[in-house]
Amino acid sequence: MGFFNLKGTIRPLTGLKQFGKVPHTIEYPNESKEAAPRYRGFHFNEIEACIGCGNCSTICMNGAIDMISLVEVEGKKGDSGLRPRVDHGRCCWCGLCVEVCPTGSLALTKEYLYVSPDANSFLWTPGVDNPEGKEKISFYSTAESSLTDMTRVPMRELEGMERIKSFAEVVLGYEEEEARKEASRCISCGICTEVCPDHMHIPEYINAIAQADDHSAIKIIYDNNPLPEMCGKVCTRRCEDVCAVQVRGEALAIRWLKRYATERAENAEMIREIVNPEIRESNGKKVGIVGAGPSGLTAAYYLALRGYDVTVYEGRSKGGGMTMYGIPKYRLPLESLEKQIGYMERIGVKIKFNTQVGKDISFEEIYQQYDAVFLGIGFQKGWKLGVPNEEAPGVQPAVDFLVSVNDGQEVKVGKKVVVIGGGNVAIDAARVARRYGAEVSILYRRRVEDMPADWEEIEGAEDEGIHIIAQAIPKQIVVDEHGKLKGFEYIKARMEQDERGGRPRPVPIEGGETFVPADDVMVAIGQEADYSFLPEEFKKNIEISRGRIVADPVTFQTSDPKIFAGGDAVNRTADAISAIANGFNAVKGIDKFLFGKEK
Amino acid sequence: MELHKEKQLLETLQGVFQLKSGEIKRRHRIEVEVEKKDVVPLLLFVKEKLGYKHLSHISCVDWIEEGRFELIYMPWSHQEQILIMVKVSIPRDAAEMENIDMIWRQANTYQRELREMFGIEFPGFVGDYDFILEDWEDIPPMRRDFDTEAYVKDHYFERPGREDAKDVRTEIAKRSGEQIPDFAKKYSR
Amino acid sequence: MREKTTTLYLGPQHPGITGNMMVKLSLKGDTIVKAKTEVGYLHRAFEKLLEKRNWLQCFTVMCRFCVPEPDPMENIYARAVEEIEGREVPERAKYIRTMVLELARLQSFLLWYAGQNGSAGLYTVPQWSVGDRNYILDLFEELTGGRIYHMYTWPGGVRRDLPEGFESRVLKVMDYIEKRQEDYDRMMFDNSIFQKRAQGVGIINKEKAIEWGVVGAPLRACGVKSDIRIDEPYEIYDKLDFIVPTQEGADVWARALVRRAEFKQSISIIRQIIDKMPKGEIYNKVPNPQKWTLPKGNAYVRAEAVRGEIGMFLQSDGGNKPRRVHVRGAAYVHAVSLLEDVLVGQNVSDVSFIMNSLGTCPPEIER
Repeated sequence: MGFFNLKGTIRPLTGLKQFGKVPHTIEYPNESKEAAPRYRGFHFNEIEACIGCGNCSTICMNGAIDMISLVEVEGKKGDSGLRPRVDHGRCCWCGLCVEVCPTGSLALTKEYLYVSPDANSFLWTPGVDNPEGKEKISFYSTAESSLTDMTRVPMRELEGMERIKSFAEVVLGYEEEEARKEASRCISCGICTEVCPDHMHIPEYINAIAQADDHSAIKIIYDNNPLPEMCGKVCTRRCEDVCAVQVRGEALAIRWLKRYATERAENAEMIREIVNPEIRESNGKKVGIVGAGPSGLTAAYYLALRGYDVTVYEGRSKGGGMTMYGIPKYRLPLESLEKQIGYMERIGVKIKFNTQVGKDISFEEIYQQYDAVFLGIGFQKGWKLGVPNEEAPGVQPAVDFLVSVNDGQEVKVGKKVVVIGGGNVAIDAARVARRYGAEVSILYRRRVEDMPADWEEIEGAEDEGIHIIAQAIPKQIVVDEHGKLKGFEYIKARMEQDERGGRPRPVPIEGGETFVPADDVMVAIGQEADYSFLPEEFKKNIEISRGRIVADPVTFQTSDPKIFAGGDAVNRTADAISAIANGFNAVKGIDKFLFGKEK
Repeated sequence: MELHKEKQLLETLQGVFQLKSGEIKRRHRIEVEVEKKDVVPLLLFVKEKLGYKHLSHISCVDWIEEGRFELIYMPWSHQEQILIMVKVSIPRDAAEMENIDMIWRQANTYQRELREMFGIEFPGFVGDYDFILEDWEDIPPMRRDFDTEAYVKDHYFERPGREDAKDVRTEIAKRSGEQIPDFAKKYSR
Repeated sequence: MREKTTTLYLGPQHPGITGNMMVKLSLKGDTIVKAKTEVGYLHRAFEKLLEKRNWLQCFTVMCRFCVPEPDPMENIYARAVEEIEGREVPERAKYIRTMVLELARLQSFLLWYAGQNGSAGLYTVPQWSVGDRNYILDLFEELTGGRIYHMYTWPGGVRRDLPEGFESRVLKVMDYIEKRQEDYDRMMFDNSIFQKRAQGVGIINKEKAIEWGVVGAPLRACGVKSDIRIDEPYEIYDKLDFIVPTQEGADVWARALVRRAEFKQSISIIRQIIDKMPKGEIYNKVPNPQKWTLPKGNAYVRAEAVRGEIGMFLQSDGGNKPRRVHVRGAAYVHAVSLLEDVLVGQNVSDVSFIMNSLGTCPPEIER
């Protein structure tokens, strides 16, 4: 091959044929190319849909995302009130923030051109600074593609017809592997902690479970809740309603995870070893507590840790209050409670059982004997329905029925039982009656989805063959000429939108009267406190409004400075976790009252 | 049958050398661990006798908790199509390893980097200092105890304008009055 | 007359150097008597950085190891993680991954066309090939949402499924590029200027090539049949029909011919993949990235990039972050010990020409 290779000189010249062709890479006049439908450009955030969980900020490996307060967004339950701000100068457009966003509010757009000499101007709050981005969303996540795991690890339960044969615990609890898997779904935002009345350290203990450190989880849980195993089984768990994952998927099983952790401590001694709390030296002060329910026990436990000499007076033979007597054993077995109460006694809490205040010991005596008194008396009396023939034999408050059963008394349940109400007490009573072999119907004024009871309980009831009659307004209890109970009459209702914006109201349908035969009628439409133990002068001193003791919302001090109160008789939510929170906070109040400051 | 070649190789090596451990990881991969004194003989053996002519990689892992570096030599045979991962542990303080750049020339580059990034010395090895770094006086930066964050804080300044960033967990705890105990904080995100 | 030795610093900023590195040359006249690779201009401490990132965050860094061909890096990271964890990948995802790898090879070949010809002063081919490469980047943009850094192949599968009608658009681009190959042939391989520049330049001794860790096209140009895709098949390469082209010349010309043949192979591979592409899942979802941990263990996986063998050593200590990520790039060997040796005796004007044919890529040296 010589230097003048003819072929090698001529053939490259064929490139000249391109000369006359229209170029296809550059257009004139210059037009920006429309980006691909999946392009990863600037961020856009749907401000209303965002809950400020900060998961985007956590995953960003460039530290480009800050969570900031915005004027237009106010923090509320289920929303941290913060919103992401992206430094587009640091962003690497990986889009992981979009992939992990639990709500799907964050997306990337087709926009990709922005030039400015000012570095600060690259800090954008997506959705606020670029509202037009909404029309150009290109890279987004769906519930399927999202890296947030939307599916809960299912809880194993006894099969429906198997359950009604006994009072064996229905929920079987997570195995270790299931718990780790469920715990690892948590994105640790902590939005749940705000709605928990007790503000438990939820992300922390879930993280500990995910990292296979169950003992730390238990220690974290006991930091502000001394009855966690009870909560792990029957808590109303409002935390799960606001879980960030719940927006597009199934909420974390926060309650079941707590249950898993607490069950790792098999007995009271093990709890003592794992929690190993610091117990301060005696400070010489004595506190008397009325009622060994959740609020009383909580106050007692933390007071004992702070060096107080604490005595609890309980009228019944076992501690736990309504959680012991009001909740059926298939939900909360006796051992669970006894384990936790046993642990408290090891810490130094003294509990006097079978000592009813007002009967076995007078309230004055307690008032004189102690430096401070805490009332955790609860709601024990069931409300009346207010319909004709309510005093007929066979009609009783559901709560009384539950107490008798849990107390081990012999109860008689007829063939057909009607329960009135839609709360957990109604469902509990119905399911217990079912276990006594009865055919049970639940009557509720509104729709099934309006029932305040836990959805798991409602489903459980249906599984067990309980008939739920929704939209049924009670009319009267029907008796025969001898005054013997025959059944119950209700009026069918339709739902009507409330003009004032409240939840839909049931309105009776004309001619909708229906009769259901019943041998027993149980009423579960609410409870109230029994203040008969209080002597008259105290009733004057302690302000009671609408059946509730009025207490300071922070210190839980009543209008008598020496008396503190908590639990159902004080708060409006009337559940165990609120009672625990009251007890926990009252301890700080008592500290402040006796020592002038929180110690 | 499928892992026949791998098994055979492992048996051969077990016959010649005292292996601390040896396993077939999968097809095309076996992993052996040897004492420091056996590394060069083993590498020479597999290269010259078994035809593992191609040194694919040399890597190093800092097991600071156990006070050792783990060096991994990875020769590959174009004929056998097996890659041997030869692991050896050397103490972290006074880290020293034998020079192998006369067995494989490219090991020279690897050793320069190992010396610079991990502080492993190779007695008798000729290679320029300052490979990637220049005038470095801190501890070798790929060691686990080199704190990148502290280094960055010392050497660079944070551009102002992002001080209003808040932590979601702290913000919520502040709002609800929750006190997160210190022992729990390591489990916050 | 005593000849004087001149020292010439080529780079770090020089259009003929493929990135930010420097070659310190000692010259006698135009002939190189000693070459020394100096790096350190591009050290981003990725490997150290990755020790502070969790397993998912790491995946976004991977493509940044190498601009011209980011996808094999993503691929080996994903496979290393999957190997340690024992995570299964759906069949369709494997096909898509292989297609992405081959598309990445094609666009990288086109970039190599540009570099190889540009460094020989033939500026027409770079104009064309960079333009043609854009058609492949358009495909990537459509598939992954990014043009250069795709961040698409991740542990467990791929991020998104193929868009509607994507296969037909790929085939269209393949047809176009295949046709364009004739133009490149005329401009480059038939061109006597290119032939003169390439033949007999930058010769690597075969024995040396094997022992010095030369990989990829430079090794195949020495007559060694070596290709990771066949030696140690990954993804679905064992189901595809292709050959390993070799040449005997061991010079720049031979390497160019090998790459030309591989370019054709890649087009055929992509057609086979689209032909065989199964339906089904594309992703075996990883757990919540914040809490995702891998069992203790290590893995060394390799892939064939245009520059040659690339590998990743990944060590997990059982936590949610890697203990060690160590990338083996072809250029780590090619651009330091090999280049220093090959350049001796060559003409100074051939330095960047040889570097392009060896596929030197400084980001792989410094990481």
